[in-house]
Amino acid sequence: MKTILLVEDDKNQLLLYEQELSIEGYNIITAKDGLEAIKRVREQLPDLIVMDINMPKMNGIEAMGKILNEHRKIPVIINTAYSSYKDDFMSWAADAYIIKSSDLTELKDKIRELIRR
Amino acid sequence: MLLSHILKEKFDNVVNNLVDALDAGLSVMDKDLNIIWANKNLFRILNLRDDPVGKNCREVYKCECKEAKYCSVLQALSSGKRQVTETQLITEKGERRYIRNISIPVRHENGDIIQLLKISLDTTEQEEKIRRLSLLRKLAELMQGTQQTDRLLHLILTCVTAGTALGFNRARLFLVDKERDIIYGKMAVGPSSMEEANKIWSEIASKYEKLEDLVKASEDQYREDTPLHMITRLMAYSLADEKEVIVSCVKTKKPILERDAFHNPNSNKKFVSMINANEFVCVPLVVKDEAIGVICADNVYSNKPITEDQVELLSIFANRAALAIANAEAYKKLEEKIQQLRETQERLIRSERLAVIGNMAAYIAHEIRNPLVTVGGFARAILRDPTNNSQTRQNIEIIVEEVSRLERILANIMDFSKPVEQAPVKVPSQINEILENTCSLMDPYFKNNRIHLIKRLGAIIPKINIDPTQIKQVFLNLIKNAVESMTNGGTLTVETMVENEYVKINVTDTGEGMTAEAMQNIFMPFFTTKVDGTGVGLAVSRKIVEDHEGTIRVKSSLHEGTTFSVFLPIK
Repeated sequence: MKTILLVEDDKNQLLLYEQELSIEGYNIITAKDGLEAIKRVREQLPDLIVMDINMPKMNGIEAMGKILNEHRKIPVIINTAYSSYKDDFMSWAADAYIIKSSDLTELKDKIRELIRR
Repeated sequence: MLLSHILKEKFDNVVNNLVDALDAGLSVMDKDLNIIWANKNLFRILNLRDDPVGKNCREVYKCECKEAKYCSVLQALSSGKRQVTETQLITEKGERRYIRNISIPVRHENGDIIQLLKISLDTTEQEEKIRRLSLLRKLAELMQGTQQTDRLLHLILTCVTAGTALGFNRARLFLVDKERDIIYGKMAVGPSSMEEANKIWSEIASKYEKLEDLVKASEDQYREDTPLHMITRLMAYSLADEKEVIVSCVKTKKPILERDAFHNPNSNKKFVSMINANEFVCVPLVVKDEAIGVICADNVYSNKPITEDQVELLSIFANRAALAIANAEAYKKLEEKIQQLRETQERLIRSERLAVIGNMAAYIAHEIRNPLVTVGGFARAILRDPTNNSQTRQNIEIIVEEVSRLERILANIMDFSKPVEQAPVKVPSQINEILENTCSLMDPYFKNNRIHLIKRLGAIIPKINIDPTQIKQVFLNLIKNAVESMTNGGTLTVETMVENEYVKINVTDTGEGMTAEAMQNIFMPFFTTKVDGTGVGLAVSRKIVEDHEGTIRVKSSLHEGTTFSVFLPIK
């Protein structure tokens, strides 16, 4: 079973992603901010990371940078409400950039595609 | 011996010559005011027909002093001192004449006053001069109050031609254009033919007694289509051509009175032949020691010779007029600058407001988007539950649908508020291509909404420097708006053309049109008449166009349709 790290500060949204992706058949671990995300990766290496950007303590782009420094091959999906971060070249390191939507089809499709790779 | 006898017998020749030289009328009267002697000049000055000798003073001098206490002659007799009075008389030709009468008591050797000498002087010329000077003062005041250049110039020329003012037949005004080094005809006032002249003069004489009335009428009658005016507008002379009278007037900054222009060997005839008058006067309009123009006046219809006095008066008037023109020009420049400043300020406020609103909108949109994801996401999860009864299912479907709609609106706001922060990246682009491209993109959209598209793209539209992505967004917005206003289908017309240094793009629909109130507000952020609209599209479109130093305008009539025009500068 593949493991996905979900990084999201919004409690309810985290719950939604956790529920939906479990149904898809993934093992889910979660983090509430960037710092926690780094800690989780050190504990258990996930097969894929879904990363929010706008979070307290450490934002998603910075956390992604740190994680990719240590584990260059983990696929990262940026999942954010802001389309403007697309212009931030730091975000280009991610494997996908998804704008949050209540319709999770795009996110699920992208996860499937990246994990298969 | 009595004075009358002395005058008559002994010094007749000497005194008469002297008096003739003084150009004064003389009479001697007794204490009962009966005239016992008068010289010939008195006939002329008082405009007499019969010999005044033997008649009473009042009868001859037609004094206005009805009562004895105002009579200067009686006062002179009683006080023994000289008295001076001013009177006026109207000749049978209708000319007004001003006369100064000096009454001098004549004493007998024993000191008794026995006779009176009355000297009459014609002061018409002086009086007229004074009257004209006060008129000039009045004109100057009027001119100072007029700040619109064209109206001021017309007022100036009206004063030059009005009988109550300077009284020339025709007046033309020329202005110096330093950049092009020429002097050109700006305006003219006066009749274009003898016939018209007669008509105008009788009208002016009967209607406008006072200067104020004339000025008022001059404003009402301000016309640019008179033949004289149009001919004058065609006149222009190089300032290098100093043999032309008007040019030498500019160069010397002195009035020039041409008495026989047609035969003057020292001047070129181009100007003279256009003026078509043998006698005329040119006076310079001098400001700060520089001639800014020339007034040229003539009496081509009445053929009345132009007097030196008139020239002098016209010069004084021209000086005042020049100052007024300079003032008006300065005022105009100031007004233009203020207008520019105001526009810049308004644009700044607008773009600042749009930026603030854009940022705020983006912030709110994101804050709302997050909980929406959760609400909609869970709703979708519930929807998948096969145990739902049909009522629950329908309710959840409504939640999913409404959340999707909100997400679409938010996406719109975020997309539209985006370019506010970005300066356009300009590259030379062909507007027609961008329009074609936009239209072909929207082709299915047109078909779905039963829109008939007409393209009238100009054949010679130059490439202009624009940000193609941003301009395309403007076109998309305008076309989308147009289609949305045609709920039952209709015709959409897109046109391009070149208009005064601008490429103009028209987007016209046959939709509902707008009320005047809506027209005032359509460019305001978040103003919308549409059910699903965000009210950002047109505000952002205007921002984009203004970032390109262009303008966007709208014309609309209710139930007929709307045209949006975008102007983008070619340079």
